[in-house]
Amino acid sequence: MTLSHPARPRRSPRGGPILDRRQLLGRLGVLAGAGVVGPALLAACGDDDDGDTGGGGGASKDLWFANWPAYIDEETVDLFTEASGISLKYTEDYNDNNEYFAKVQADLAAGRSIGPDIIAPTYWLAARLITLGWVQEIPFDDIPNASNLLPELQKPAWDPEGKFSLPWQSGMTGLAYNISATGRELTSMNDLFDPAFKGKVGMLTEMRDTLGLVMLLTGEDPGSATMDSANPAFEKIEEAKASGHIRQFTGNDYMDDLAAGNFAVCVGWSGDIGQLALDNPDLRFAIPEEGGMRWSDTMVLPNGAENVANAAVWMDYVYDPENAARIAEYVGYNSPVAGVREILAAGDDFQKALSESPLLFPDDATNARLHVFASLDEDAEAAFDERFSQIVGA
Amino acid sequence: MAGRDAADDGDRSKRRAGLVPYALLSPGMLWLLLFFLVPLVTLARTSLSEKESRFAVDADFTWHIANFTDALRDYSDQFIRSFAYAGAATLLCVAIGYPMAYVIAFRGGRFKNVLLGLVVVPFFTSFLIRTLAWQTVLFDSGPILSVLDSLSLVGVLERIGVARNGGLLQTHASVIGGLTYNFLPFMILPIYVSLEKIDLRLTEAAKDLYNNGWQAFRKVVLPLSLPGVFAGGLLTFIPAAGDFVNARFLGGPNNTMIGSVVQDRFLVQLDYPTAAALSFILMVIITLATLVYARILGTDDLV
Amino acid sequence: MAASSTRAPETAAGRAGRWGLTALAVGGFVYLFVPIAVIVGYSFNKPRGKFNIIWQELTLDNWKDPFAPGPLTDAMYLSLKIAAIAAIAATVLGSLIALALVRYRFKGGTLVNLLLVLPLTTPEIVMGSSLATLFITRGVQRGFTTIVIAHVLFCTSFVALTVKARIRGFDWTLEDAAMDLGATPWRTFSRVTLPLITPGILAAALLSFALSIDDFIITFFNAGAEETFPLRIFGASRVEISPQINVLATIVLVVSVTLMLLGALVRRRQT
Repeated sequence: MTLSHPARPRRSPRGGPILDRRQLLGRLGVLAGAGVVGPALLAACGDDDDGDTGGGGGASKDLWFANWPAYIDEETVDLFTEASGISLKYTEDYNDNNEYFAKVQADLAAGRSIGPDIIAPTYWLAARLITLGWVQEIPFDDIPNASNLLPELQKPAWDPEGKFSLPWQSGMTGLAYNISATGRELTSMNDLFDPAFKGKVGMLTEMRDTLGLVMLLTGEDPGSATMDSANPAFEKIEEAKASGHIRQFTGNDYMDDLAAGNFAVCVGWSGDIGQLALDNPDLRFAIPEEGGMRWSDTMVLPNGAENVANAAVWMDYVYDPENAARIAEYVGYNSPVAGVREILAAGDDFQKALSESPLLFPDDATNARLHVFASLDEDAEAAFDERFSQIVGA
Repeated sequence: MAGRDAADDGDRSKRRAGLVPYALLSPGMLWLLLFFLVPLVTLARTSLSEKESRFAVDADFTWHIANFTDALRDYSDQFIRSFAYAGAATLLCVAIGYPMAYVIAFRGGRFKNVLLGLVVVPFFTSFLIRTLAWQTVLFDSGPILSVLDSLSLVGVLERIGVARNGGLLQTHASVIGGLTYNFLPFMILPIYVSLEKIDLRLTEAAKDLYNNGWQAFRKVVLPLSLPGVFAGGLLTFIPAAGDFVNARFLGGPNNTMIGSVVQDRFLVQLDYPTAAALSFILMVIITLATLVYARILGTDDLV
Repeated sequence: MAASSTRAPETAAGRAGRWGLTALAVGGFVYLFVPIAVIVGYSFNKPRGKFNIIWQELTLDNWKDPFAPGPLTDAMYLSLKIAAIAAIAATVLGSLIALALVRYRFKGGTLVNLLLVLPLTTPEIVMGSSLATLFITRGVQRGFTTIVIAHVLFCTSFVALTVKARIRGFDWTLEDAAMDLGATPWRTFSRVTLPLITPGILAAALLSFALSIDDFIITFFNAGAEETFPLRIFGASRVEISPQINVLATIVLVVSVTLMLLGALVRRRQT
């Protein structure tokens, strides 16, 4: 049982967001003495636009991007088609890294095309695909805007040569909690294991996020994780699960439980809380004092993808800070494109407030406390996945 | 209890027409052979194989019995849980379904078909959606828990293990409840069919013989309906034992079933040999039980 | 019929037992419909988040455009398409088998019966994973075709057994009579046999259609990149549970109930 993905702003069945009024940010975060990031509210922006960016866009396939659900605003796809003349098929059938990998593994191994030209796996799956040689080099010569990529994301651990991937969005993993259920502010992973919250704790099925945070608690560095260094963390999680302290391992589905107070605290993702907190001010997000995790979903071109040139045009388009700002405004996570903050700061009140949000634009101090999980080789990854799946129960 | 083709042998309307039956049978049988039997052989072969690396597509056949022993050792919890859940669900289905079938068969009168329809109608919605609906109903802030809370029954339920930490989901009971619900018609219909076949004169005679309805039921109706109960039991137990959807939506990490393991092994860990071994063990256990029943009843009576 | 005067009068306990039984049965029916009520009811919900689990407020918005283009609708169309193809294929294959079993005596009848019953008694997870293993090891790309193959597989068993049960009791001497009167085997078949067995076949076809639309586990293993309706719900369920699911499910429910009622009415007319 897997799933890893962060959710995006709510969408109505027709694809537009449910909140149809622009709301100003209510509060901004306050950096507490222990370096904990307080809540920042984001609004799910949106018009009553009926436009649908979900599947079924256009019969012709000049370009096909299979992405996670609700990871793009409603206008960008159409605007791109207008600007470039390329008809983009944008689908949202990428729900889970492991399940998607299992679907396409046989085809990629046999050298067959899987359909989409671009997919956006989470960084560790991208690393795996790159190691297996199942993705093509991105023609960066044709993507001048790629120079806008934030420095800290260039030549990352999962793509050391920087030739095969280009991040779509980044995000932070930390503590998501409901203050009316916890009764107090939480600052540390120890709080997650507080016996007072027994049976009301959630963790993510995304192993690296969950394990990473607990490893930081046990004093280990997830950036150089080995089975030995991870073992205490595994045992801690296992014990908590066996005793019933952890109620459930979730994907995005922790959010409603959290809002209803069924979970007091979970491991959660920054963008989710930002959106939910708008309606429900009891919801908070905090990077634990031990540290948090940073992740990225990154665009890659699977082998067999034909429309590589068109893919380059798309990547260039979304790395234009104007477009990136539009996407970031809707999605609520950390844009990998430089200059987005300045654009938002120059916008209307709502955008300005976004530009000041520490959840969207963490400052250097916060960034310093975020860790990226180590790149595991095939055997190590198998061992980790095994161990984790024993705990998660599958 | 009819034997296999014993009834047919005496049926004079059956023809011996050489190759015609074989011609009729062959397309269907070929399909079953190719896509049911051959995969099982492949499954057996894979269960004794080893994969060179996690991302290799093929596994090498090496008589690797360890797949089986390891699987039984590592997942004994889930096996036991699966059979326990399936067993509990089957018993609950009998407890709920038998009275329903009885009432439809004997009290239904003109409305028998309507009532049967009512039994089947809920199952025109997707299995997944029904399970999700139970998740909605049993949710902590849902209607059932609120009612139980106001009646102060939650503590009682926690003591008997139905609720846990103030919630109804992520418990053994919620998974069993989901299984029971989803397979109930598979119990009701066969029981109904066998009750329906009972000659009314027998029941009348029984009522005359015995002083009360209960005796009449116990001595006459119940035994005659047993084939239906057994058939329903099989049709409930077997799919329930291999299910993972209920465990996924209604259960927590301590409620997983063997189906969840197979799904994870196959699709996430890409560990085809172990997944195959697990499937095989599951199938062998269940097929043995089925063959025992089939011997007793004759396959004709299963439908 | 036995004279009721010899029967002991019903005791109070007996009457209580009877009422208890009826109450139990009624309770059972209520139990059956609880999720249905929830499904239909929540199609009118306006969830605050992406999961249609907590009741917020009543709205008709979800119903305004239930077939809006989107992955869910695409998945529904795919499911319908697959179900139609699988139902037709399985009905043909299964009915032929049933005919052979009922009308002819031949060696191997027991084996055939066994092979028909085995798929029913094999857990879906075993069938699904074994079929997927076959496809993977043979290098067959999983997708639309493999889904259809899988669905025809389990539907054929159901069809064969259902049709067999339905047509077993018929008076086959009618066929002989027709032949005696000079009808050719083909004519006998189309004019005598076929009308007799058609209701059974139709019932089996409908059953196949329903089974195919709802199938999840076997499809899950063999769908490759395709998404049928149940697969879409499952796949998206970690990320969202949209009210559109409820709307589509309610529509399917209403349509099936209507068809069922029509079928019943037609049958009543006939008798």
